[in-house]
Amino acid sequence: MEVGREEKLARVHELTLLKRVWSFVRPYRLPFWIAVVLMPLNTLFALSQPYLVKLTIDLFLDPRHRPAPAWLHPLLRAAGTHGLLAMGALYVMMLLGEFATFYGQFYLTMMVAQYSMSDLRTALFNHVERLPMAFFDRTPVGRLVSRMTTDIDAISEMVNAGSLTIFNDAITLVAIVVIMLTFNARLALWALCAIPPLLLMVNFFRVRARVVYRDIRERLAALNAYLAEALAGMGVIQLFTRERESCREFDQLNLRARESLMLANIYEAGLFSSVEALSSITIAIILWVGGGEVIRSLIGLGTLVAFMEYAQKFFNPLREMSQKYTVLQSSLVAMERIEALLEEKPLSRPAAPARITDRRGSIVFEHVDFAYRPGEPVLKDVSLTVEPGQKVAIVGATGSGKTTIIKLLTRFYDVKAGRILVDGVDVREWDLTELRRAIGLVQQDVFLFAGDILENIRLGRVDLDDSAVRTALARAQALRFVEQMPAGLREEVHERGANFSAGQRQLMSFARALAYDPRILVMDEATSSVDSETEHLVQLALEQLLTGRTALIIAHRLSTIQSADRILVMSNGSLRESGTHQELLARRGLYYRLFELQYGAPDTAE
Amino acid sequence: MRRLLSYIGRFWHRYAFGIFCTLATAALGMTIPYLVRDAINAIQAHDYLRLAFMVKLICGAAVLGGVARWFSRFVIFNCGRDIEYNLRNDLFAHLVKLGPEFYERLKTGDLMSRLVNDLTAVRMMIGMGVLSFTTTPLMWVLSLSVMLSLSPRLTLASIAPYLVLFFVMYHLSRSIMERSLRVQEGIGAIGAKIQESLSGIHIVKAYTLEQHQAAQFRALNDSYNEQGLALARIRGVLLPLIRGAAAASTMIVLIYGGALVMAHRISIGDLVAFMSYLVALAWPTTSLGWTISLYQRGKAAMKRLAEIFETTSTTMIEEDGPLRLEVAGEVRWEDVSFSYFANRNGSSNGAAPAYALRGINVTVRPGEKLAIVGRTGAGKSTMVKLLTRMIEPTTGRVTIDGRDIRELPLGGLRRTVGVVPQEPLLFSDTLARNIAFGRTDASRDEIIEAAHVAGLDSDIAMMPRGLETVVGERGMSLSGGQKQRVTIARLLAYNPSIVVLDDALSSVDTETERAVLESLGQSVRGRTTIVVSHRASTVRDADEIIVLDQGTIAERGTHEELMARRGIYAGLFHRQLLEEELTQY
Repeated sequence: MEVGREEKLARVHELTLLKRVWSFVRPYRLPFWIAVVLMPLNTLFALSQPYLVKLTIDLFLDPRHRPAPAWLHPLLRAAGTHGLLAMGALYVMMLLGEFATFYGQFYLTMMVAQYSMSDLRTALFNHVERLPMAFFDRTPVGRLVSRMTTDIDAISEMVNAGSLTIFNDAITLVAIVVIMLTFNARLALWALCAIPPLLLMVNFFRVRARVVYRDIRERLAALNAYLAEALAGMGVIQLFTRERESCREFDQLNLRARESLMLANIYEAGLFSSVEALSSITIAIILWVGGGEVIRSLIGLGTLVAFMEYAQKFFNPLREMSQKYTVLQSSLVAMERIEALLEEKPLSRPAAPARITDRRGSIVFEHVDFAYRPGEPVLKDVSLTVEPGQKVAIVGATGSGKTTIIKLLTRFYDVKAGRILVDGVDVREWDLTELRRAIGLVQQDVFLFAGDILENIRLGRVDLDDSAVRTALARAQALRFVEQMPAGLREEVHERGANFSAGQRQLMSFARALAYDPRILVMDEATSSVDSETEHLVQLALEQLLTGRTALIIAHRLSTIQSADRILVMSNGSLRESGTHQELLARRGLYYRLFELQYGAPDTAE
Repeated sequence: MRRLLSYIGRFWHRYAFGIFCTLATAALGMTIPYLVRDAINAIQAHDYLRLAFMVKLICGAAVLGGVARWFSRFVIFNCGRDIEYNLRNDLFAHLVKLGPEFYERLKTGDLMSRLVNDLTAVRMMIGMGVLSFTTTPLMWVLSLSVMLSLSPRLTLASIAPYLVLFFVMYHLSRSIMERSLRVQEGIGAIGAKIQESLSGIHIVKAYTLEQHQAAQFRALNDSYNEQGLALARIRGVLLPLIRGAAAASTMIVLIYGGALVMAHRISIGDLVAFMSYLVALAWPTTSLGWTISLYQRGKAAMKRLAEIFETTSTTMIEEDGPLRLEVAGEVRWEDVSFSYFANRNGSSNGAAPAYALRGINVTVRPGEKLAIVGRTGAGKSTMVKLLTRMIEPTTGRVTIDGRDIRELPLGGLRRTVGVVPQEPLLFSDTLARNIAFGRTDASRDEIIEAAHVAGLDSDIAMMPRGLETVVGERGMSLSGGQKQRVTIARLLAYNPSIVVLDDALSSVDTETERAVLESLGQSVRGRTTIVVSHRASTVRDADEIIVLDQGTIAERGTHEELMARRGIYAGLFHRQLLEEELTQY
């Protein structure tokens, strides 16, 4: 009972899933429907061939059992051996027809599957990109990769191999039964004798195979996961001299996988062989029953031979339909997972984004509370104001909430209480793209994309030509090292910028921001130490970067802190002190201690 | 290839049985058309008795053939699975012996794809390949001999399409494989792009690159579409080609054979037999063409796997090493220098600092505690890695109880020196099994005690299934500090004579670090201990503290001596105290 109910629920759900797939196939419905029309044509061409064999045998080769109608006699006499050639020509035409319709149908379905799934993948990518940061905090990237590759491949399988050909297989089966029945009902019923045992057999194997295939998937996944983990953690395995145990564990997983794989082979071989054997037995039945009818001149020899061929053609679709059913099942599971991903809500966008009238670049935090996880507040009642053109530095110990301020300002997350205003407008009422365009972000760990330097500075804005990028690089003090590279601006950047030093990456990220020219600059200064020469370059670049902008900087450099108009001191999620460098030092409070920690006693530092 | 043959050799009796069944299948399969011919001839002669006899024979051949086919397929395919299983185990057993230099050279992803894809290619070769190479020739011999005896001329005329089929298949399957490879690369590139974009999602969002990234993604998808359709274009030919060849020869039989029947040179039964033979030969012939490319691909894959087998490591663990060595626990670095580039051709950037360690001379007496402090990159980890021979000194030597560790059995050495590495790497398994990682026979009490000493009690109490909670990638994710404490528990369960903590508590706060170190100190009392830390305040009780700076020992002495010097250590210590103060502010 329980199972029945579950299945029923699942079926309703399947319909919505199929609708979703169809919504992606729909744009390609013309080739899709053409393929649908070509399929029965293909069946027609294929099934006409045994009929031609029958005609040839009955008309020309063995006319004595079923003489042709009298009106045909003169024609046949006149034709003689040419009749055979005519039959041959017809046969070739049918063959070519089968060829063409198959190819057309195959290519069109592949095309539909390829294009529609590519659209689905792109749509999914677009959707995921726009999900809030909180989603990425809890979802490993690897999982998203497999959604957009493996799972979509499974659906693609259904679109190109599954749904359409199942339909075609059904047509073929019906057509064969109808043809056989019109030829001779008695013989047809005898020939179809093999179907019940075949169906039983297919069902028997299918039910078992489905379980085995699920086991295979799970066991292979476990095996490969173990392998990947062991390879990544080989150092630990060796340090703990665990080689032998690991081999044993691996062997066990390997053994389990092999067990299922072998069982699957036994079932598959069983299904394959029993279908083959049944088809031979059907031939024997046709020969026995049909032979008697030929002898009694109830049917022609040609009909008998055609029956044998039709019976052969009957078995393949029957066997394949069960295979495709499995494909269908696994693609539904994949679709279910993708549907869940599509149902993730992106960050709410204002229905009508506020018009920004004042564009001078001011920042206001009003009593902002925030927590990444409920019960663990990260910011508590933070209020701050940055006037247009002001440079404000934030300092504080690790974990005091500095980075969170930046993340809230660029609306990676939404505040739990209070509000954040940029140019006098709540960030939640800004058009998100416009907000992020207004704020330039320079992060501590510079992320470079695989590609070339030019692309990494332009970041997709085609309006920036080479000379604009050069200017940005020059102002960021990065042009010199870029020009020393063999390929200059076109120098390749490896994944994550692995072929550049930390200092070079920093300068490039400055160039990015300079090319971007935002009115507000938000920066998380890198803590990683660079050599003194690069340090000098960074200082120069920083000056360039800050001129004429409102800036909020999580500062680590002494020079940055000292040159700030105001310094905010954070501790445990609250704003503790605020003022200029000199004022704060004079207070001898938290800032004084922090400063001492970072740069030694203030008296010596100055 | 020779390696593969030795694997095949192990299953020769099963292969022999499988091949026998295959041959029986082919032979029985090939008699059916002949029996059909006789049956039709009997029908034409109105001979009921003979027809009945033939029908019974066909049924017999079908049943026997079915059984033989069943055995042949699964016996041979399962031999393939067995060989794959053995190869995979042997590969893994070899991989665990290879040192860090191998894993630096080959990334996990590359290795995984070798192990997965190449093994599949090899298995296909020895499963499908063997079946096809034995069946197809026999089927051809049998059917040709029957057809030739019926009518040599008709035989020659009707097999012509098959010769074409075979050669076209052979070439087609090669380009199909090439194009499928390209399709695989295409989806690989898509996966890599997703990985990159979503790993850098913060920069994508900050610079509103969503559309830009989507456009790049779209472009990759477009070229993937092209690759997919290029494959479809030739794969679409495949099935019509096979059916076409069969149908073309049927047509030849029908016209030419029909003429022969009308001329009373052959019977209709012969004609039908011809048609059946030709239909039966279609798939085997196709698969033979396919198998030849399978063989080529499998051979290349096997070569790549052989490369792994042939890689040896300088520090391979011996098969049956002794358990833990009995040592007093004196550890000494004698004039040790180390360069990561010494064993490689050419350094990475020309003028890179050649030595990670230079002229290190340190002795730790049995049961004493050595602390190594210094900035990131000063060479602290390098020093302790030398102790377990994860790397070998470029010059100088490391000794335990006066014996060069290169002369000690490696397994014994690593059971004697226990390390808590910097990176707290756990496995996707239960907490208990992660703690008992190095000693699978550890008792429940030992595990609980180890967890207790590592300060995990309250964490475990919070976990849904306590010690049986699965952690890691497919389980509960632990915080950095929790992971580090589990690695400490793992070390305690391992129970080594010499304990090395490589900045093992960097992710826990100073207070917890001090508490864990204290209880740890009690439970490893009397054992030689080497502690690497970036926090000066937690190592003040060490018997000797060395301060590394750019690969050399800058300062050494006890806490008091170093504080009195007012050098690097004193500075570090002072900042440490301040930092602690600030967190309590």
